[in-house]
Amino acid sequence: MSSQTQSFDAKALRETVLDMAYAGSTVHIGCAFSIIELLAVLYRKHLRYPGNDPHATGRDYLVLSKGHGVMAQYACMRELGWLKDEAFSAYFADGSELKGLSDSRIPGLEVTSGSLGHGFSVGVGLAMGAKLRGTDQKTFALVGDGEVNEGPIWEGALFAAHHELKNFMVIVDENGFQAMGRTQEVLKLGSIQAKFESFGFEAITIDGHDEVAIDCAIMQLWASNSASPKALIAKTVKGKGVPFMENNNIWHYTRLDPVTYARALSAVDGRAP
Amino acid sequence: MRAAFSEALVRLAKADLNVLLLTGDHGYALFDDFRKECPAQYLNAGIAEQNMVGMAAGLARAGFRPFVYGLSAFIPVRVVEQIKLDVAHDKLPVVLVGDGAGFVYSHLGTSHQSTEDIACTRAIPNLSVYSPADRFELTACMDMAYQSRAPVYLRMGKSDRGDVHAAVPRVRAGSLLEAKPGKTGDIAFIATGSLVRTAIDIAAESYSDAAVWSAPFIKPMDSEQVTAICAQSRIVVVLEEHSVLGGLGSVITEIASEFAPVRILRVGVRDRFSHYCGTYEYLLKEHGLDRPAIEQQIRGFLTAN
Repeated sequence: MSSQTQSFDAKALRETVLDMAYAGSTVHIGCAFSIIELLAVLYRKHLRYPGNDPHATGRDYLVLSKGHGVMAQYACMRELGWLKDEAFSAYFADGSELKGLSDSRIPGLEVTSGSLGHGFSVGVGLAMGAKLRGTDQKTFALVGDGEVNEGPIWEGALFAAHHELKNFMVIVDENGFQAMGRTQEVLKLGSIQAKFESFGFEAITIDGHDEVAIDCAIMQLWASNSASPKALIAKTVKGKGVPFMENNNIWHYTRLDPVTYARALSAVDGRAP
Repeated sequence: MRAAFSEALVRLAKADLNVLLLTGDHGYALFDDFRKECPAQYLNAGIAEQNMVGMAAGLARAGFRPFVYGLSAFIPVRVVEQIKLDVAHDKLPVVLVGDGAGFVYSHLGTSHQSTEDIACTRAIPNLSVYSPADRFELTACMDMAYQSRAPVYLRMGKSDRGDVHAAVPRVRAGSLLEAKPGKTGDIAFIATGSLVRTAIDIAAESYSDAAVWSAPFIKPMDSEQVTAICAQSRIVVVLEEHSVLGGLGSVITEIASEFAPVRILRVGVRDRFSHYCGTYEYLLKEHGLDRPAIEQQIRGFLTAN
């Protein structure tokens, strides 16, 4: 858990993402904005990093399986002091360290992801390891709803339930979109909660932008006496926080120009452009 | 070889409780001893290889030493991306064991035959590729893999073609082992896995002065040793139960072309799948990897120039 001086204010995190995206002329803004509140609550309240050390033995694990949202995690790590301002201003410059998708060489990022369906399994392995060791470490795997198209997710779900990994929680960012369109149109998902429940998970669906609801649901799932792994289905809005980006899938790929950057910033901080 | 594998695995696991065996529902009786001796270190991940390799990466991050077992048609071929991203990128100490390499599962057809696994793995950074020729090399490779604390793909091929050593050899990473002594000069043999025994038999009968080198390590490879062998030979014959594209023959020719150009005959699978069903020996024949066919290739190569 981070110190009280860190607010993980969603507005500030979104501003950092916009600054990065503009400086680096990079994409995936919509993917980052849908998970801002989820990450804010996790870092503020639930993830334990002894001594504020991203490598601390005994830490909880957050596996960002949907590596496309990594700018949101970078923003949180800046607040934690794990990433310095210089890294942000140089984003995407030649020789800079932060990449467009998650890379485990950055302190605080547990896995290298971007090819989808990987982080979930690594998270299951981390949770299994904690169970074998008898530690109280918890593992969160944050996946996208498009990502659950990938087969290894369901292979890992079978394993997690079979081995009663109650220390494992998948958080599904259900923003309803994947790269080429709506998830229900690309490959119909139906009820993600029902799917995970049918695999043996204990699941709750919440508004993924309501920080109180997120906090309460995570506490409720961990408080359960059930031996089941947990699934938190977070209904989110891709591009949340900037009206012209919300539910507009071109912001999966589109870069900011000076005008859209100014408009987006003003939308986030509530001022006129 | 499989008995030596089981024995080495049990020995390593009993000495280090962090050693875990993960299997994708393969192995059966092979793991009887392991399950009896180290039940808490055994995980059947189910028929789900992609998740198994990702999980192994997570377990390695948590301090465990996973050995991931599967048929070489699946481990590594089915899970190349998991090996690349989840394991090799961060140099995690995961040993991937691919059993039944080449045509071992002969009657089962293309799905279970594996002649592209070396090519698939050797281009992955940080990943070593081992290919032992007999039970003694297997034991040495298992110990080396454990001690390396780094990602390793260990290829297990046909185990009943006879030993090529009299005892567990002393190895260093990348070294070629002299399986049959010879003199410098006309022809040298470099082989890996199941075809080391064949190379020894051919050399002993027809090319008595030729040395036969076994390559238990495909990567890393001691390029100085290879260069010396190539520089001292008029012809080098490389044999493997693997495609000629991207396997040991490619490794040797790449090194030779840079440091000691020499004529090299690559004996392997000529870029084709098996057409017919049959025994292991039948399929070796179909692919020109039986002894008469190899001898004919060598004679033709020697007289070509």
